[in-house]
Parts: sequence; C-alpha cells; structure tokens
Amino acid sequence: MGRRTATTRTAALLAAMTLSLAACAESEEGGGGGGATADETGPIKIGAVLDITGAGASLGVPERQALELLAGQLEEEGGIDGREVELIIEDNQSTEDGAAKAMNKLVNEDEVDIVLGASRTGPSLAMRPIAESTETPMISLAANQAIVEDSEWVFKTAQNDRVVIERMIDYMAEQGWSTIGLARDASGFGEGVAEMFDEIGAEKGISVVATEKFAPDATDFTAQMVNLRDAGADVNVIWGIPPAAGLAQRAYDQLGIETPVMQSHGIGNQVFLDTAGDAAEGMVAPLGRLVVAEQLPEDDPQKEIITTFIDDYTAEFGAGPSTFSGHAYDAWQLAVDALREEGTDPQAIRDHLEGITDFTGISGVFTMTPEDHAGLSKEALALVTVEDGQWQLVPDQGD
Amino acid sequence: MTDLLQLLFAGLSQGAVYALVAIGFVAIFTVSGVINLAQGEFAALAGLVAISAVGSGLPLLAAVVLAVVSVALVAVIMERLVIFPVKRMTTLVSLILTLGVSTGLKALMLLVYGPNAEGLTPLTPGGFSLGGVSIRYQELWILLIAGVVSLAVYWFYERTLAGKSLRACAEQPVAARLVGISLTKASLLSFLIAGTVGAIAGVLASPIYFTSWESGLTLGLKGFVAATLGGLISVRGAVLGGLLLGVLETLTAGYISTGLRDAVAFLLLIIVLVARPAGIFGRTAEARV
Repeated sequence: MGRRTATTRTAALLAAMTLSLAACAESEEGGGGGGATADETGPIKIGAVLDITGAGASLGVPERQALELLAGQLEEEGGIDGREVELIIEDNQSTEDGAAKAMNKLVNEDEVDIVLGASRTGPSLAMRPIAESTETPMISLAANQAIVEDSEWVFKTAQNDRVVIERMIDYMAEQGWSTIGLARDASGFGEGVAEMFDEIGAEKGISVVATEKFAPDATDFTAQMVNLRDAGADVNVIWGIPPAAGLAQRAYDQLGIETPVMQSHGIGNQVFLDTAGDAAEGMVAPLGRLVVAEQLPEDDPQKEIITTFIDDYTAEFGAGPSTFSGHAYDAWQLAVDALREEGTDPQAIRDHLEGITDFTGISGVFTMTPEDHAGLSKEALALVTVEDGQWQLVPDQGD
Repeated sequence: MTDLLQLLFAGLSQGAVYALVAIGFVAIFTVSGVINLAQGEFAALAGLVAISAVGSGLPLLAAVVLAVVSVALVAVIMERLVIFPVKRMTTLVSLILTLGVSTGLKALMLLVYGPNAEGLTPLTPGGFSLGGVSIRYQELWILLIAGVVSLAVYWFYERTLAGKSLRACAEQPVAARLVGISLTKASLLSFLIAGTVGAIAGVLASPIYFTSWESGLTLGLKGFVAATLGGLISVRGAVLGGLLLGVLETLTAGYISTGLRDAVAFLLLIIVLVARPAGIFGRTAEARV
C-alpha cells in the first residue's frame, strides 16, 4: 500500500472534486452585454428562455425554430407599427438556475418588454418569481398548472396538466378502467400528477395504485417498468417528455407488459416516435391537434392556422413542427397581439393578455380570465394513437 | 424472483458499459498518473460518430469501426498535443488539462451533432423472454463484447511484451526507463487503449442508453467510480467495480427509490475512499494492472 495508496487516494479525491465542479460549470453561463435603455421609439424587445440543450432539448429546439421563423416573418411585414421587433433567445440548459439567470439577464440587462418560456415546468417555475417581482409579462410554454396558479404576471400556452388529466380520466372511464399505474417524470413536469389523477378520478372511481418516478434524462427504465408490471393496474400511464418518455415506452414494450398504456401531452414530437419505435403502436395520448392536422375535419376552427404554420415551418426547416413549436407559436402570437394593441406598457400588456377571448392558436382556442391564465379547456386536446409510426386520431374521442 | 433476475440482468448490462469506461481510466492512470476526465467524452463521441455515419448511409458495422478508429485517433492526438508536451505532470495538472479537453470535445459535439439525444441502430434488433426475464439482443452483445474486450486487455497486460512494459512503467518508472522502455511511447499506447475501449463502450451503449453531446459526463463519472472501486490501477478491479455499480444502481432503483439511483455511485465513492482507498478488491491491488 504505502505511497501508491496515498497517491491513489489524493488523485481520486481531486478527480471527484473536479468532476463535480465540472458538473456545476455545466450550468454556468456568461453574463455580457451592456444595459441598453428601452424607450418608446426604439425596437420592441421580446425575450425567450428555452431548454435548448440538456434534457429538454427535444422541446426547446423546435420552439426556438418556431420563434425564429415567426420573428423573420414579422420583420418582413415591417415589425409592429413600424417599430422593429428584436427577439433575444437564451438557453437555460434545461436547469432551474439557468432559467432564473437567463430571466434576470433578459429583464435587467436587455430590458425586454415580454418574456416567453421556459419550455418545461421546472425552469418556468424558477422564472415566475422574477416576472412577478419585476412586473414583467411572461408567457410560459410548459404544462404544469402551478406555473400560473394565482399568478399576476405569468401566462402560459401549453395545455394545463389538469385538462389533460380530465381528458385521460374521461377516456379511462369509458374503457371501464379503474386503477392506474403511473410512471412519472421526477422533475416539475410530473410534480403533483398522481394527486391530480386521484382528485379528478375520484368521482368516476378511478385511482392511482402505484407511482414510479424517473429523471428527465434517465436512460434505463427496467426498474420502474418491472414495478408497474407488478402493480397490475388496469392501465399504465407514462408521464414524461422525449427522449425519456420514448425510452420508457420501449422498456414497457420490451418487458412484454400487455396492459394498455397512455402517455401525456408531453410527447408530441418526432423524437418520441423515433425513440419509441414500434413500441408506441397502440399507445393513446391526449395531444394538440397539430400532429393530426391532415385528419382534422374541414370545419375545424384551428385547421387553417395549423396547416399554414406546418407549411411555413416545413418550408423553412425541412421537417414538420412538433406540438412544442406550436406552444411557442401561440406564445409569440399572443405577445405580438398584446404589443400591437397596447404598445410596450407592461401593465397594459398584462391586462390585455388576461382579457384574451376566443384567440385561435395551434394548441387550441384561448380564453383567458383573471382566474385562468392558461386559457385552454380539454377540448383543446385530441386523443391520438400511433399506427405504422404515424400519429392517428383515435376514432372514438370519448366525449 | 423474476423481478430480481430482471433487475440483475439490466444492472449487469449497464455495469458492463461502466466497466469498459473504467478500463480506460485505469489504462491511462497506471502508466502516467493522469486521470483522464475526457474518458466519458470518448464514449459519447464514438456513439455520435457511429449514429451520423449510419445516418449518411454507411452499413452499421462499418460505422462502428469508423467510430472506434476515429475516437482512438482523437485519443492519440489528445495525448500528443496535451499530455506529452507537459514536462512535470502532476495529477492536478492532468485534471485541469483533461477537463479542458473534455469541455472542448463537448462543445465540438454540440456544434456538430446538435443537442438532441439519439440511439444507434442495435447490432441485432429485438429481444426474447426467458422464464419471465426479458432480454434484448443488444444487452447480450454488450455483455459478450465487454467480456471479450476486458479479457483481451487483461491478456495484453499479462502476456505480451508491450503490455508488460506498460506495467513496468506503472510500477517502477525509473527502472523501466533504465531497461530501455520509452515512457512517452507507453503513455501514447495507454491513450490508444483508453480511446479504443471508451469508443467500444460508446457504440455498445448507444442503442439502449442513447447518446447526446453531454452523455459523456455521466458515463465518465460512473466509469471513474467503477475504476476507483478497483483501486484505479487494476483492470480486473475496474471490471468488477463497473458490474457492481451497475447492479447496485438498478437494485436501488427497483427496490428503494428511483430518485436514489444516481446517488449510489457517489455514496460508494465516498465509502471506498474513506474505508478502502486501495479499492475494495484486496490490498494487493497495487501490484496488478
């Protein structure tokens, strides 16, 4: 032992420290940029905080593309009332502290007029107190209702998890299922989901009998799925975002579990179809109408706006948009609508957003109220399954 | 019982990947005392190269070979550019240097391959069920190839002249030099081995565990813990350490809580460093390579 052991120990300790430092450094981000001053004639500034790298990349990247597309289109139209619109996008690296930092930078250094983002619940919750305290209007693209509960300045465009769960419970009741096995995202997106299933399911006699968790960047799901199998519920729900949700679906299929499986609205992109592969066949999820645009009836109020967006997006990026780019589209249009009507006065923007009525977007038709800063009902969701690697409307929508 | 077997099997295949990464740490540390923090990036890079090669139409096997060769080359270039020129290498200096390389590689991967995680096509798609335990063919490939590679590396150190000279450098650097063994060649060779083994880990793991520009951090961390379990200087210890870590992680996730999964590695690291700094597999570990 002796010298060599001591060296080994020191070396190992040093390495451990450096590695953990490196892990911390992952979330570091350069400051930079001087304090520009906003005035009534300069460019209008829209900030966006997105999960461009890290666990939320499959959400943040299409959202960034949608925003860039829309900003480009607005520029060609000549901006808002002749004022140029500047879009500033920050990457929060899918972390909460990254989101808070980026939010601070946008509000204090760039002095933006409105902030869009973040892509996921956790980072959005981290931004919320900054929006409230600095009285900056903010439109999150994430799901969890907690983001906008009792909020003054925060709105959001993704369907609330509550309406998603209402939709799922309706379907379960119709299928005659009464017990749920749940594997949920361990981060903010999955927080409180089991309780909500129990609460909404109570009157229909549906309850959660087993809950498993997985990290949003997890890669092996054997343990969770084995436990779900043993729970023996009538239906299993995987509540996460791709690629994790897709990998979980694969593990589920690979373990040969025959119980029907449902997923959340967190999976509306190609990454899910790619990662889950054949395993996704037959799974049912409530998703925005974007993924099944061609199958919508002609009289669907969203059909035209969705089709136009898909065409523009596909022409620009060579691949179709996901529901997440739809959330970004809606947030952008709401923001631009408010800025166009009210100018850059934060209070006026906020009041305008709160009064939004029958605003047709990609994720649904929005009607905001002082109590509801998300604005979508369960009608915004369609039940969708996967057939031959393609999204398919479930024939029986259960309403 | 079926559950236990299922968890054990999942843990073993995950552990085999850790083991391969761990061998890379050991190969380099024994020769030059360098702890290569870019070891995980070797695996991530190999996975990404293979994925994009398959994406551009190359057959799977050719893509895998291309990935392993190019990553081995990256490791060799890294040694020549970053490690070789340093006259007085201490562990601290090596950590800073290799951390720099790791960060650089990560940035490069992010720029070239984008932020999304993807999986390589499996060598054999699908799987089967044996007594209630479902097994993916890719997991069998992981175990098989990891076993063969570990044995090959072990055989190389024990039976070949080049391997023995590497061990000599590790145990008696001065004496090794006196009998005419070139330390610089030995260091280069050790990086070649680490790059190759790391790359093999990367392409094997990718179909199941997916690869992104940042997956190297976790893999490197776990591989490092596995290597430390074996005392950082034993191939056998590193392999056992990797398997042990994989199994413990899966069992923790299955029976206690999935949230504790990643804590297992750090707990083990602390316990081993405090209680048995020479590794948990015996005190003679220092003499082995």
